[in-house]
Amino acid sequence: MEEARFLLGGPQGAGLETAAQVLTTAYAVRGYRVYSMREYFSNIKGRHSYILVRVNARRLPRAPREGPDIIAGLDAESVFTHFTEAREGTILVYDSGQAGVSPERIPSMERELRKRVRETLSRGGYPPTVEGAVTYARDVLGARPLPLDFRGILGELSKRLGIPAFKAKRFANTIIIAAVAGLTGLEVGDLREGFERRFPGRRDVVEGNTALVEVVYDALGDLRGSLALDEPLEPPGEYFVVSGNDVVAMGKVVGGLRIQTYYPITPAADESFMLEAHENLDADGSSLGGVVVFQTEDEIAAISAAIGAALTGARAATATSGPGFDLMVEALGWAGMNEAPVVVTYYQRGGPSTGLPTRGGQQDLYSALFSGHGEYPRIVVASGDHEEAFYDAVKALNWAERYQLPVIHLLDKFLANSIVTLEPPSLEGVRIDRGLLAGSAGPEYRRFDKSGGPISPRALLGQEGVVMWYTGDEHDEYGHISEDPVNRREMHRARMRKLEVAASEIPEEGERAVLYEGGSDFLLVGWGSVKGAALEAIELLRGEGLRGSYLHLRVFEPFPSRYVLEVLRSFEEDRVIAVEANYLAQAARLVAMNTGYRVARRILKWTGRPIYVGELSRAIVRIVEGGSVEEVLDYGA
Amino acid sequence: MGLRLDYKTDLWVDWCPGCGNFGILTAMQKALAELGLKPWEVVIVSGIGCSGKTPHFIYANGVHTLHGRAIPFATGVKLARPDLTVIVDGGDGDLLGIGAGHFVALGRRNLDITVIIHDNQVYGLTKGQASPTLPAGVKTKALPKPNLQDAVNPLALALSSGYTFVARAFAMDVEHLKEIIKAAVKHRGSALIDVLQPCVTYNDLYTTPWYRKRVYKLEDEGWDPVVRDPSERPVKLARAIEKAQEWGDRIPVGIFYQDPTRDTLEDRIASRIPSYRSLPPALQRIDSNGTPIVGERELKAIFRDRLIRVKKHH
Ligand SMILES: Cc1ncc(C[n+]2csc(CCOP(=O)(O)OP(=O)(O)O)c2C)c(N)n1
Ligand code: SF4
Ligand SMILES: [Mg+2]
Repeated sequence: MEEARFLLGGPQGAGLETAAQVLTTAYAVRGYRVYSMREYFSNIKGRHSYILVRVNARRLPRAPREGPDIIAGLDAESVFTHFTEAREGTILVYDSGQAGVSPERIPSMERELRKRVRETLSRGGYPPTVEGAVTYARDVLGARPLPLDFRGILGELSKRLGIPAFKAKRFANTIIIAAVAGLTGLEVGDLREGFERRFPGRRDVVEGNTALVEVVYDALGDLRGSLALDEPLEPPGEYFVVSGNDVVAMGKVVGGLRIQTYYPITPAADESFMLEAHENLDADGSSLGGVVVFQTEDEIAAISAAIGAALTGARAATATSGPGFDLMVEALGWAGMNEAPVVVTYYQRGGPSTGLPTRGGQQDLYSALFSGHGEYPRIVVASGDHEEAFYDAVKALNWAERYQLPVIHLLDKFLANSIVTLEPPSLEGVRIDRGLLAGSAGPEYRRFDKSGGPISPRALLGQEGVVMWYTGDEHDEYGHISEDPVNRREMHRARMRKLEVAASEIPEEGERAVLYEGGSDFLLVGWGSVKGAALEAIELLRGEGLRGSYLHLRVFEPFPSRYVLEVLRSFEEDRVIAVEANYLAQAARLVAMNTGYRVARRILKWTGRPIYVGELSRAIVRIVEGGSVEEVLDYGA
Repeated sequence: MGLRLDYKTDLWVDWCPGCGNFGILTAMQKALAELGLKPWEVVIVSGIGCSGKTPHFIYANGVHTLHGRAIPFATGVKLARPDLTVIVDGGDGDLLGIGAGHFVALGRRNLDITVIIHDNQVYGLTKGQASPTLPAGVKTKALPKPNLQDAVNPLALALSSGYTFVARAFAMDVEHLKEIIKAAVKHRGSALIDVLQPCVTYNDLYTTPWYRKRVYKLEDEGWDPVVRDPSERPVKLARAIEKAQEWGDRIPVGIFYQDPTRDTLEDRIASRIPSYRSLPPALQRIDSNGTPIVGERELKAIFRDRLIRVKKHH
């Protein structure tokens, strides 16, 4: 097999996140490319969560895809939530001790799901129990049930380790990790390395888990290795095993970030934790400096402090998601007015309001672009995958200083929480661009001197021999308040014109928009984490004789109007399809606003779950071959 | 124009004639000059209101921010350049109304910033509404009806939030205010000065003559605000909070509480990031001729806990 896909489910707090890290590490050690994503409730303990992992011998999978080879449930709720996702041959691992449990006995299950499960099972004449669901999956979908006696396995563990049963129970989540690893042919040692990474210095935990892996491998019997993967093709020497949050933190460190402020919010906070964990930039015994990571009292303070720091010349950023960004907006306008280089890393989640706090979406494009009163320049860049996110983090810091304005780096929960094996990024050609600095300024210095063009030489607060003023009021070139109409005309124009400078310097083709050419049967237009599903769907359809291309929008301000229009016009109008994780097709409307071109077909999803490759491909076919103009997707539990 | 060391700018100061802000401005300019600070080593950060304009009238770095947000802006400046002298000027509405959360947060941190409240009991710039320091039941000039809400006590709030220097002064006693500002700036840690600032236009109750009759100096009564050992903290703090309740016929001004024994936020950061004092965020080199200091090798070294070496086997 070139690829294996598996879904592991269990209650929140039972170690699914650990499972994702351990498995990804173990496959990485063996050289495989891994993509894993995580779905979870806004809850700490008890509600259902799951991870979806794709392991590939040849290349990095880019998006979630239907049809798992293994579904492994730690509890009955996992079986009820996912049994309908089985297909021909899917191995369904479950606890035989739970066979008789019915949805009514699971208080954590949402009412809607309970009802759907009952209906599905009763329609087919199956009892509303785990046993019934498993049998349904076998008879109707062609799954292969693999009951494991969890109690017996843990009993065996307690015997082998000589520990009491209640202690053995703590290792329960490893049963499904081991089942998946065993079926796909991982060695015990590979998993051991995963545990060592996850639990550094905790020998007893590593030993216990490793012992349990051995017990499960014994229990698998002949099935061990039955889904064995091909040997990985030309694996690199090293991988970073990192989430989207992690790579942004790493990019920021390369980009010279020295102060990050934040107020905790999902799915942004992990980025700040990653930075704080690495606050001392120590490389091979020598210190390259330190990053101050500062938790503020709210998001207003977070962005205000970041701006204050930016004025001193420190590269500064804050990370948040929708609710926090809303609070930042007034200060963002201050940064625009005062030409302050600040970066806001904006992780979209399902809104409005608290919305779907732990789920994803692409509903905040307009919030990033248009929030705030008055007019001010800002750059908005959106990343489509881990690699883009890394480089964009560096670029955002550069652009903020080069154009002296706020830069919003848009990501989303799907990217933030998915873990991949990332080949160490090349830094060839990566530069630090600090823009125009007034290094030798003296007492005559004017912070907003526009005599040389819209971008004024920037002196830093604390710079010797120089003083300057800033104010959110309209101001003269010294930074003192001025309501004079002629001054206003010039100052406002100069600020806004910085965007024209940015537009003239940042290439449209390849940097602000990227065309992935694969044929002219259809063109998908998307942005952010749509990229992965779009590229894989195109590839899938190529096998069916349909050849499509993907236009990936990267920078929304300044918008690459000329190039985007050129690309759109090179396709048949009824073959151009917007793909977005929102209701409004926000990017498509923005295309219309900027180019006058109306993308009339669209595929949308707003369930808070990511777009899967299969559902996207089928929707494309319905549009291209079936004449549909709008498709709404809803796959995923 | 050369660099001026008298801390004056040549702007016209557009406060109402007789406004208490003039006293605060003069006291600040004199204090800075007497402290011998260079204008570029000082950053004055203000909020929005009549008081918010203060930095424009001082020849030193000035950052006139948003309503209520001077403290977080100042926090960012100070964290990035702990060697700079950072002073916050804000109105009572600014610091104790819309910005009250930040006011409390600064106390918790004991970051070395001096906060000056221009306490005029009204919202000056929006034409005289009640501010959070105006007592309930009173009706200042512009109010259509008497005030419904009780006043917050800035000193007690600062003391319970953790400020390690808490003082009150009267705007019209420039010499005394100047000395308090100097002491606050010299203090290592979060310092608060609540300045009783007559607003001649909207506050017809708490006027200069009203205050002159009542104000007395703590030091004249032998008040000892200083914590000399951490064990003295609870007692001195409780006494200061009690003293802060005194208001009416006699109004104390001066330093209520000063605790130089508590570590500052900068100390705590430096204990975790050893290079913080010598190379704070703003002074670190991040590139050499445009090439990032953190290159491929350094990236792998810093994030080695996320790096997996692939085992070539079989
Ligand atoms: C977010 C926001 N809300 C309201 C205002 C309007 N506003 C300007 S100044 C001010 C109050 C000023 O009162 P205070 O802080 O006591 O300062 P003073 O003018 O008395 O010095 C208000 C509410 C604003 N600028 N920003
Ligand atoms: S309104 Fe009051 S506080 Fe404002 S300038 Fe006039 S006197 Fe001073
Ligand atoms: Mg006021």
